[in-house]
Amino acid sequence: MVKPAADWTERSLDLSRLLARAGLGDRAAFATLYERTSPHLFAVVLRINRDRAQAEDILQEVYVNVWRAAQSFDAAQSQPLTWLTSIARNRAIDSLRRGQTQPKLQTLGSAAGGADAEDEDVYDTVADAAPGPLDLLSRATDARALGECMDKLTALQRQSVALAFYQGLSHAEVADQLRQPLGTVKSWVRRALATLKSCLQGAVVRDGAGAG
Amino acid sequence: MDYGRPELADRLAAEYVAGTLRGPARRRFESLLPAHPLLREATLAWQRRLMPLTAPIAPQQPSGEVWRRISERIGGGSEAKADGGAWTRLSFWRGLTAFASVAAIGLAVLLANPSAVPPPIVVVLAPTGTAPGTAPPASLVASISGDGSTLVTRPIVPVSIQPGRALELWAVPTAGAPRSLGLLPGGSGTVALRAKVLAGADTLAVTLEPAGGSPTGQPTGPIVYAGKFSL
Repeated sequence: MVKPAADWTERSLDLSRLLARAGLGDRAAFATLYERTSPHLFAVVLRINRDRAQAEDILQEVYVNVWRAAQSFDAAQSQPLTWLTSIARNRAIDSLRRGQTQPKLQTLGSAAGGADAEDEDVYDTVADAAPGPLDLLSRATDARALGECMDKLTALQRQSVALAFYQGLSHAEVADQLRQPLGTVKSWVRRALATLKSCLQGAVVRDGAGAG
Repeated sequence: MDYGRPELADRLAAEYVAGTLRGPARRRFESLLPAHPLLREATLAWQRRLMPLTAPIAPQQPSGEVWRRISERIGGGSEAKADGGAWTRLSFWRGLTAFASVAAIGLAVLLANPSAVPPPIVVVLAPTGTAPGTAPPASLVASISGDGSTLVTRPIVPVSIQPGRALELWAVPTAGAPRSLGLLPGGSGTVALRAKVLAGADTLAVTLEPAGGSPTGQPTGPIVYAGKFSL
């Protein structure tokens, strides 16, 4: 359900005004928009493409796209940060190519009998101070309804969705990471998304605790 | 595949937003979006559902180099609208040249008639071509009376917009927030200009808002027509 602009937070209204002015060619407003939103979008991109230099290139693309598309932003269809974050995630996912290795995938990936380098990477991953996908989920205090609905998922459904969403993993990559059959993972993700949808719509899901 | 089926549209949109739709399938999905309203709707709905998941991600500061490169690519310059901003980049400027000559002729005819009242200022608003939901593009003409008390707009070609939406007219100053001049049912309107509402403004813009106009007092929808003028 689209939240009418009258119910938005002050932040959302602010961003909407900045976007509207950027759409009219106001570069100062666009600079302010960048200042306010780029740390969030950069962090979102980094979760997907952990190469900082590439992430900065992606961020550049994102904001050039935002500048060009600002006048078509429609507040009746989405909130500004939702729109911006979606653009960022899409460009970040596009930047990942098949075979391109990300540190986490290298360690738990397809190669059986890991080489020394991969074993070292495992320790790097474990020592990584940044929160993993599950930590992020448990901290989703701003998105309480979504957090409550995520709680209705089984642990494996939740983990599959988290890996896909936060890191931009495909079904096959999630299956690799969790060492589970591809078909199983696909069904976890599908059940998870269906459960989220009906939970968010307020419907009662009778067998949400199903296989997983 | 029949992309008109709601369940299929919903499933694909969910996978697209969640990130599991990848490779050629993902690219194909993106290419279908402009032409398939069901897919667009489903995608927007899933974005609304899932983007809150990004809320707890700790922000990270990009290097200053990123903004510098963005700034260069969007046209250099440091002042707001010093380069004309979006207006100069749009192809509508080319279309506007044709209308400008029409407007100039109109003014010349008026000037030929001696009168104590200054001639009106005519502003042609051309379509910016960014609102896919509206009817075929039309143009609006706005006329500001010589004594500055009234602004009248008329569509050159009849305008129709989808139910639940409205056209709102804004005076856009070179600095500061746009000021609403009111709604334009069917593209027509007569506005009694309050003192100074046009002060400092060099652009008239029309945006597509919810019925009843912007709920925030500032433009919230896409710009559908725009035109520059000078008082």
